[in-house]
Amino acid sequence: MQLLRIKKGYTLRAAGVPSLNLERRKTPDTVAVVPHYIPFIKPRLAVQEKDAVKTGTLLFADKHWPELKFRSPGTGIVEAIRLGPRRILEAVVIRLDEKETHESFEPVSDAALETMGKADLKSRIQDGGLWALFRELPFRNIPMGANDPPGIIVTLGTREPFEPHPSVYLNDASALFRFGLRVLQKLSGHVAVVLPSKYAVPSTLKEAVTHEVSGHYPCGDAGVFLYRTKTDPKHNRTWTLHGQDLLLLSRFLREGRYPTQKIVVTAGPKAQNPCHVTVRLGAPLRHIARTSGSDGAHRFVVGGVFTGYPASGEDYLGFHENAVVVLSEDPTPEKWAFFKPGYQKPTYSRAFWSRLTTRLLPVDTRYHGEERACIGCGYCAEVCPVDILPQFTYKAAVIGEMEEALAHGILDCVECGLCSYVCPSKIDLVHALKRVRADLYREEVHR
Amino acid sequence: MNENGSFLKRIRKAFDPDGSLARLGPMYEALESVFLARPRFTRKAPMVRDSLDVKRYMMLVILALMPHYGFGVYNVGRQALSAAGRAPDFFPALFLGLSAVVPIVVVVFGVGFAWEVLFAAIRRHPISEGVLVTCTLFPLTLPPTIPLWQAALGISFGVVIGKEIFGGTGRNFLNPALTGRAFLYFAYPAQISGDGVWTLLIDGRTVPVDAFSGATPLSVAGGMERLQDIHGVLLDSGYTLSRLLFGLYPGSIGGTAAFLAVLGAAFLVLLGIASYRIILGCILGLVITAGILNLLAGPELLPYLSLNPFYHLLMGGSMFAFTYMATDPVSSCHMQGARWIFGFGIGALTVLIRVFNPAFPEGVGLAVLFMNLFAPLLDEMAIKARLKRRVLNV
Repeated sequence: MQLLRIKKGYTLRAAGVPSLNLERRKTPDTVAVVPHYIPFIKPRLAVQEKDAVKTGTLLFADKHWPELKFRSPGTGIVEAIRLGPRRILEAVVIRLDEKETHESFEPVSDAALETMGKADLKSRIQDGGLWALFRELPFRNIPMGANDPPGIIVTLGTREPFEPHPSVYLNDASALFRFGLRVLQKLSGHVAVVLPSKYAVPSTLKEAVTHEVSGHYPCGDAGVFLYRTKTDPKHNRTWTLHGQDLLLLSRFLREGRYPTQKIVVTAGPKAQNPCHVTVRLGAPLRHIARTSGSDGAHRFVVGGVFTGYPASGEDYLGFHENAVVVLSEDPTPEKWAFFKPGYQKPTYSRAFWSRLTTRLLPVDTRYHGEERACIGCGYCAEVCPVDILPQFTYKAAVIGEMEEALAHGILDCVECGLCSYVCPSKIDLVHALKRVRADLYREEVHR
Repeated sequence: MNENGSFLKRIRKAFDPDGSLARLGPMYEALESVFLARPRFTRKAPMVRDSLDVKRYMMLVILALMPHYGFGVYNVGRQALSAAGRAPDFFPALFLGLSAVVPIVVVVFGVGFAWEVLFAAIRRHPISEGVLVTCTLFPLTLPPTIPLWQAALGISFGVVIGKEIFGGTGRNFLNPALTGRAFLYFAYPAQISGDGVWTLLIDGRTVPVDAFSGATPLSVAGGMERLQDIHGVLLDSGYTLSRLLFGLYPGSIGGTAAFLAVLGAAFLVLLGIASYRIILGCILGLVITAGILNLLAGPELLPYLSLNPFYHLLMGGSMFAFTYMATDPVSSCHMQGARWIFGFGIGALTVLIRVFNPAFPEGVGLAVLFMNLFAPLLDEMAIKARLKRRVLNV
């Protein structure tokens, strides 16, 4: 095992971190697949409202690459197909039946995996509707086409304050995890398993971890790891997937059934009893997270406070997401805000008293200030884990200087959101970078 | 506080888009946000944001400048009393100082803020906190005898030409306060240079009493004859190192207190507001350049060459400018490595201007402005060097 030290980054001392207890939720009434937040896909529906589906029935596939399939995480009736503006498919909602039936796939035994060819393995994963678990760097798109990855990075955590811990979701899953690693080794000769050193894995999996990274959020991220270890431009197209997604993949291959459960965290200052929970894939957020206290408004965030997106309790857990965070969204104005020493204010800077303490602090969804022009404080460059200079890269990006933005390493950006977080001018840096990155991806696909 | 809220609510109506004072909306917003932070919620990732904003960032600089005002008010009064041959007691000095400094501050804030509001209203941008820092810094660099109309003209030039025509705080490339100061220097040298302007004269006097010397250490050092011992002459004028450190001598209102500037620098660096690289770079540049000049000095040459580097550091406004002017994040270098060079350049130029250009007794302001011009170039070089180290990803 190799040790890697990552100096940059920032650990948010947020209250409401999940405990390591694992709870179980009852089966919800409805589940859904949310294609809206799966990057760069164009879904073509294979079902209509009122259709009956089994667990594992095809719901939709990608228009341009039909091998990219998405299957139903439950048995029941398609209750609603939610369309957004310009008929964007937002969600396919399924009302669950009492009794569950599965589409059957051919299971893969340990021995069969030994002899199986790469193409065969790929087509099984694609047919099973789990190909979307793979993400291709640098754009984090789903790899489409027949290209082979130069390597695969398994991420066990990034040190986001609210994410499942590998010691919980890998518990009793050593055999599945090892099986998954063998699958990955079939796809690529170079498989790295990256564990932030603050986390632990079950002792039986200790030697499966190839790299340990120490540092702040987002030290365990695949993009950060790649940036620190790559020696050649051809490594840039490495694939990545989350440790828990690897478990889904091997469960599907071994059992021949579409997997239906995973472990997520419900956390945040406004979440009741923050902990790990075993939930159904695509469960409603209100079913996963319970809000605590009745004081004022709150907001659900799917997938971590730095990278996730806002949602309401009626929305559903996304395909790639592992966390449901509840934050306060109190509209009362704060009086005398900037005269206060700030005992309770989380900050990267040293301008508040809270920097002298070590306790966990309440975080909320406020900007904590008005938007201003960049004043050149340089905080963003201090935290950027991949040594981008966000204050300059962002300027190149917004005026459309693509060559310059590329030279600045905009493709190394891991979209961790720290630059936007620390900015005292409240500039949405990472949003601007993301938009340009998405443009670059589309340009590349249409070439 | 509740009353405060309802009061704000009542006057808010006039500033609404269809109210009678709609054009002055930004002014109302700026004033209101001092007391009430209206929440704005994130819609894009990341969902949480740091508690620090530009307002607090700038207010901390203003907070660090407050001791300079306290000191400046006292020192102005004290020098005025000494020049009139009266005992420099504390309270008379304080009141005298206040009577001289407060009008300058009121005029500078009134005029500076008016320009900012005008530009904010026409260009529909929010009022930036930067103007408050500019208006706080500017009076500290002026002599206490400055005519008020000149103070108004100076801050107008600083805010409008130094900042607003480029788009406001964050888009200016020169330090606005120093731009205004330099404008006054070149436009009205009679009121801002020479030995007569640094001391307030009271009791209807036109010259100070004989026992009082109005010469600043910079003019003493600059007016040296050949073959004189510069340290001896400074000592004869009463300028020991400790007096230079504590700043109780005629000079600009707040710039002479080197010890306060050192404390302010420590405060701002600890809070992460000012860059220690710039400040140390300035000090290094100044000490090393002055040290080199010491080596060149000889009995036949300029006595100024042989001045001890620490005199350079403590006299005049050098520490003040290093701490508060050079570290202005907007107009200084943005790359960490370039900040050392930027600072070094300011320190070196300060000494060179002082020693070799007798027209400018104090060189530090011009040195900062000059290096402001070079900051983008230094940044560009630092970025180029840094980008070379990346593994290509295109």
